[in-house]
This record gives sequence, structure tokens and C-alpha cells, in this order.
Amino acid sequence: MNYLAKKFKVVKAVALVTYKEWSAYRTHSMVSIFVGPVYFIVQYFIWSAVYSGRASLNGMELSQMLTYFGVTTLIGYLTMDFADWNLQMLVRTGKFLTFALRPIHHRFFALSQKIGHRILGFIFEFLPCLFIFVFIFKINLRPASYGWAIISVALAFLMNLYLNYTIGMTAFWLVQATGVRRVYLLLQGIFSGGLIPLVFFPPAIQKLLLLLPFQYVSYVPAMVFIGSYTLAGVSMPIPHIVGLQAAAVAATALFSEYIYRLSMKRFTGVGA
Amino acid sequence: MLKKYIGIYMECIKISISTALTYRLNFLLDNFIALLSNIFFPLVTLLIYGSGAEFPNWSLYEVLLIQAVFTMSTGIANILFNGVLWATMRHIIEGSLEIVLIKPVGCLFFLTASTVDFSGAGLILGGAVLFAVALSHAGPVSILMVLQFLILFISGVFVMMGISFIMAATSFKWVGNSRLPEIFDSIKYFGRYPQNIFHKAISGFTSFIIPVAMIGYFPAAALLGEADGTAFIAIIPCLLFAMAGVLLFRHMIRLYEGVGG
Repeated sequence: MNYLAKKFKVVKAVALVTYKEWSAYRTHSMVSIFVGPVYFIVQYFIWSAVYSGRASLNGMELSQMLTYFGVTTLIGYLTMDFADWNLQMLVRTGKFLTFALRPIHHRFFALSQKIGHRILGFIFEFLPCLFIFVFIFKINLRPASYGWAIISVALAFLMNLYLNYTIGMTAFWLVQATGVRRVYLLLQGIFSGGLIPLVFFPPAIQKLLLLLPFQYVSYVPAMVFIGSYTLAGVSMPIPHIVGLQAAAVAATALFSEYIYRLSMKRFTGVGA
Repeated sequence: MLKKYIGIYMECIKISISTALTYRLNFLLDNFIALLSNIFFPLVTLLIYGSGAEFPNWSLYEVLLIQAVFTMSTGIANILFNGVLWATMRHIIEGSLEIVLIKPVGCLFFLTASTVDFSGAGLILGGAVLFAVALSHAGPVSILMVLQFLILFISGVFVMMGISFIMAATSFKWVGNSRLPEIFDSIKYFGRYPQNIFHKAISGFTSFIIPVAMIGYFPAAALLGEADGTAFIAIIPCLLFAMAGVLLFRHMIRLYEGVGG
């Protein structure tokens, strides 16, 4: 119990400091209040044109498609992460040494930072865009099940952190790993479902995507929100896909920890 | 005067090429990633048509042509103007803009010339390949259509220039905001698709107010023989938009206050 209380105190302290630090740049977050709705307007017209004369496409109706884009935009604000960039910067500049000496796992520190940063995102990105989508665009953003949707978004939050952190650890080998990061972000952007629902991909790629972790970052929470999940012809009840998402997050966390231990064996530093 | 400026610009291009050749691997990697991202650029369109749907009255290759033109225009702008924002932002944050201001050339010219960067050349190459593929399915193209395309395409590059300069000018007041390009990227997104899918008010906005339709749609429409009077009237706002970018930047320079240097 003491262990958990101590951990909570650390999370609270780091998250609060991060929140205050980034609050100074809150107008940067508020760019999303313009960008999110503008992208949504484009999507609205694209899909309205594509659906003209059609009731459904790949099993999705127009209203579901618009909800999907609204939800993925909002989920993006809650799960956004740059742990990879941060870790690479720390390794490249040598500042990671000061974190390696601290009595706290750096990934836990990164998680605490992310919580603080995303609380800011919740206030200055998520809530304003939610109001715009609901009250101006009249999009139905009521989840099929509040409980499962919240769990799935929380798991996506963790998944994004673990994946990005693992990519960030390539800097222990490459030092300048921006190329790897850019390729990863490109693949994640496409295969997480942020660009288009994954059911639009050819069947062979959909089968491959079932085995990759990208879908758990955006597609799965969005479909849990909508209330039905299908990929590569595989349909699952919501509790099952959320369970699978939890298992994938646990496996990614273990893999991330394994890479972290290899990284620590490799890492050398002088001075502090 | 003009000869002097052309000489400086050519010298800056030589330096940029030399820099790229010094960090060859980084240069190749940057171009490879630009090329790779270009492959995914028309992905949404391909997946829409692949699933049996379409934009009404637009074939797949016609839409791809719009997106190819958009990609090439973006590639050219990335080489010629993209660095202005980041250089201006860096100078303002570090307080080093005075060093640029005391040089015996125009500040905006110097920032533009000294930030020419060929690492986005892959985007032009990828766009050109997509352009060739799409155009080969578009039907016969006359010389007049090519001339119309070139005029409209250059106008689109002027829009990209105006956007870069307006962003750079904004960075004088909105200091250190690395998300500034996202604002204009979201508006440019309208230029990637056929304009008749949008509401008339929006297509009016994207043709005459912030003329992003000129980046991809209008030049492609010229090659498809569908450029109407609107496309040519829209050249005027494109030039005005580029001029507005230059004037706004100059205005912000006049407002700029600094110490030391």
C-alpha cells in the first residue's frame, strides 16, 4: 500500500510540474481548436461525396464514418505522445545520465509527464473540440458504452507511450534516430486508422494489421466507442477486443522493459 | 541591383548543394523518407476507389492528377520557401535577427535564399511519377492545356510562397510556436480534392480568399480540359496573396524591436 501511495505521489508531483510547465505554452495546444474542426470539415465533404447514393460502405454508414473521424480526432488529443522524441533528445545530448541516476524508472517518469501534458490537452484541445463537434457539427459522440470506451482509451494512452518509448530507445544504438522515428510515425499514422478506417484496406493488409500493434492506438478505441469491431472479417464483442487490447498493451510493456534493460547495459555516461 | 540579388541567390543554392553533399547519408535518408511518405499521400483516394466508391463524376486518375500536382507544388515550396519560417523563428527566439537586419540585402530575401534546402526533392520526384501515371490515363492533352497548366501551377507556387511568408511573419508575434504550419496545412488540405465536392462558400474561400485550390485542383483541371473562367480569375488573388505575405513580413520587421546584435 505504501508502495502505491509513494508511486501516486510521484505521478502527482511530476504531472503537476509538467502541466504548469506546458501551461505557459497553452496557445500551442489551442491550435487544435482550429486545426481539428477544419480537418473534420474536409472529411465531412469527402465522405458526403463518396457516400452519395450509398447507404453503407465496408459495413459503415455515413453517420458512423463521421462519428469515427470525430472520435479518432478526440482520442488523438487524449493519447498524443512524444516520449520517443524526448528520450532521443536526452540520449543524444547526454542528459539521460541525470535520469539514469534517479531512484525512479525513466519510463514511469515519462508516463507521469504524459499524464500532466494530456490533462492540459484535455482542457485546451479535447473539450473545445468536443463542444464544436457536438453542438456545431451535430455529431453523435455518445459512446456505445461509457465504461468500455474509457478503458479502451486508457489502454490506447498506455499503448502509444510504450510504442513510442520503445522507438525512442533506438537512440541508445543509433544516437541520431530521427529517420527511424519519422518512418515509424508515418507507418503509425496510416496503420493506426487515423487516416481512414482499417476496414478500407485490402483483405491481406487487414490480416497483417490484426497482428501489428498499431490498431490498438486509434482504430480499436474508436470502434469500441462506436460499439462494433470488425477487421479482416473478424468481428468481436466489445469486451473481447478490449481484453485483447489489454493483452497487447501488457505484451508491449514487457517488450519495452526488455529493450530498456538492454539499453541500460549499453548506456555509458560521464559527469552529472 | 537585380544582378547582385541573382548572384547571391545562386551562391546560396551552391552552398545548399554543398551542405547536402557533405551530409550525403542524411540527405539521401531525408529524400527517401519524403519519397516514402509520398507513396502514402494518395492512399485515402486509392482506398476509396478500391472499395468501389468514388467522387461523383471524377475518375481515380483524375483525382490522382490533382494530388500529384499538389505534391509537386509542395515539393517545390519545401525547397524554396519552407525554411523561412524556421529560420525566422530561430532568429527571434535567439535574438539574432539583428545580424540578418544589418546585412546589405533585404531581410526576407536573405532568409529565403539562405534556407534553400534540397532535402525535399524526393517529394517532387514522387509527385512527378504519380503525375506521369495519372496523366497517361487522362486523355489527350493539347499544347494550350499545357500552357494553361503551367500558368496555373506557377500561380499555385505563389500561394505556397505567400503561406510561408505569412507563417514567418506570424512567428514574430506568436513566438516559438512550432505548430504554426499545422494551421495552414489544414487549410491546404482543401486543395487536394475536387472543389465541386465542397459547399460553394468553401470553394469560393479556397479559390479567392486563401486560394489553395490553385495548388492542386485548378492546374490539374487545366490538363483535364476543365479549367473555366474561375480558374483564371483566381490567378489575381494568388498574386495578391503572395504580395500580402511579403508586405506582412516587412510590416513585422518594422515592428520588430531588439537590443544588442
